[in-house]
Amino acid sequence: MSQQTPWSRYRFLTAHAFRMEWREKHGLAGLFLFALASVYACYQVAGGRASSETWNALAWVVLMFSAFNAVAKPWPEDSDAMRRYLKTTLRPSEWILARMTFYAVVLSILSLLIFLSFTIFLGSEHFNAMQGLAFLLGLESTAIAFAALLSVLSAISSRAGAGFGLTAVLGLPLIIPIVLISTRYGTDILNGILWIDTAHHLLFLGALTGGIGTLGFILFPYLWRD
Amino acid sequence: MKNTLWKALGILILVYVFAMTMLVPLGPGLLEFQDVNQVIESTREGRAVPEFQVIGFGTHWDQLPDSLQVFVQSKGQLAALEVIRVDDATHATVGLTLPYSLPAKSWNVLTNHPVDGTLLLENGLFLSDRFIDAKATWPAPSFIEHSSQLGLHFPYQPRIVETIRNLMLHVPLWFTMFLLMGIGFVASIKQLSNPRNQRDDDRAVASVQVGIWFGVLGLLTGSLWARFTWGAWWVDDPQLNGALVTVLVYSGYMVLRQAVDDERLRARLAAAYNLFAFVILVILLMVLPRFSESLHPGKGGNPGFNSYDLDSALRAVFYPAVIGWMLLGTWMYLVTLRMKRVNRQIELLP
Repeated sequence: MSQQTPWSRYRFLTAHAFRMEWREKHGLAGLFLFALASVYACYQVAGGRASSETWNALAWVVLMFSAFNAVAKPWPEDSDAMRRYLKTTLRPSEWILARMTFYAVVLSILSLLIFLSFTIFLGSEHFNAMQGLAFLLGLESTAIAFAALLSVLSAISSRAGAGFGLTAVLGLPLIIPIVLISTRYGTDILNGILWIDTAHHLLFLGALTGGIGTLGFILFPYLWRD
Repeated sequence: MKNTLWKALGILILVYVFAMTMLVPLGPGLLEFQDVNQVIESTREGRAVPEFQVIGFGTHWDQLPDSLQVFVQSKGQLAALEVIRVDDATHATVGLTLPYSLPAKSWNVLTNHPVDGTLLLENGLFLSDRFIDAKATWPAPSFIEHSSQLGLHFPYQPRIVETIRNLMLHVPLWFTMFLLMGIGFVASIKQLSNPRNQRDDDRAVASVQVGIWFGVLGLLTGSLWARFTWGAWWVDDPQLNGALVTVLVYSGYMVLRQAVDDERLRARLAAAYNLFAFVILVILLMVLPRFSESLHPGKGGNPGFNSYDLDSALRAVFYPAVIGWMLLGTWMYLVTLRMKRVNRQIELLP
């Protein structure tokens, strides 16, 4: 790359993250398998007779645990030697943005997969097409909010050298505000409330994602220092 | 000297608060307006009328029993009921001297007495067997309104009753936690902007450590209060969820500190996490409850106590309680901070 700009480095890093993930397909495959297996376990627990409350609750729980599973995998770039090298070539803020983008895309695909498998296994009789789309929109917004929060938390815990256990301990309480808003939105949709009357929850989610993302963007350079 | 003075002041304020909280009596109130399911002869009307019993709480009807007046009120209409007899300080038998066509079914019950002043029982009377005529009116009764002759007392609130004293513990404990977490937030920002200095990290961890204790105490006093007013140790309420999650988030802060061995890295990671924690605390306890239904006073909109809920007697104890707890919290924070610094010095000793 002759002409390097922050934007070009960000694009390269994002593409690089996907390329690495694609080369080692077992990572993504394992993630999607985990989600599918969770949905199937929910199907075995609740059966095809899940009430709309159960449907709603299980969908968010599966998304939440799949999201934690998605950020569990350590990155080769997290090692100290790699980080010291990368610090000389790029800025940490570009790196965290690329990582957030990567997780946002992965979790969006994951939430779509969860939604589809939920409608297949646990049934779709609780909503019509429009409500289903609105619910999916909520899932996607939540997935992006999860991505913003969890990519920073996994960075903190991998920097602490404590691995996935710490991500869960730090992340589960912090993620609850997002889950509270999302479940309320999902309940409203499944209760047949008009989308426009509950759309403010999506605005909350967007604001929360923006706030968390900005905070992570500002804080990440401090995490990278020696 | 100055350093001892404000600590002594804090303790003195808290002694005053505890003394007042325990010693100030609760004011009178109305518990129930009960249908006895029989009729009684009314001398005023010259006919038999339904018999009701007014049950008060902490009232003084045995003093000056002839001056007790009972009214029912609805939609601007006031009607005086006939007090047949005063049984004791808290019980009186009343004849329901009302016409057959009434403007409403649901009525507030009021009593007026020279000692207790005016007491109100909201929707204390519900009449389903009367003819409802929205236009039914009658002339307002003429009576002498007595104002309360009682000394300093806490207001009687239905369902809360004596547990109103918990206000002096529960709310100031949360305020103090806010103050301490705020100190931790500022210390963490300073820590990040000047990473070579360990002093700000000590400040942050000391304030969070003490703040968690105040949060736990706030949860415990809240749980006790919930048991007596809402009937369960824990209820699904946005404010409660937010409070519990806040304590969990800050416990996560302590776990994170344990997980890192390198001191400078620990300071940095903990500071970064602490900024997240404080933002989440503000969202959970100040933003989200405003947008959802809550059992807390001033529900749906205002998560705190409405200023109309506090009367002068409560204020005279509540405001000092807030200041006293905050001074005590600051003192605890300073002691913890000094201990951290002393421990650091001890580790440096050869």
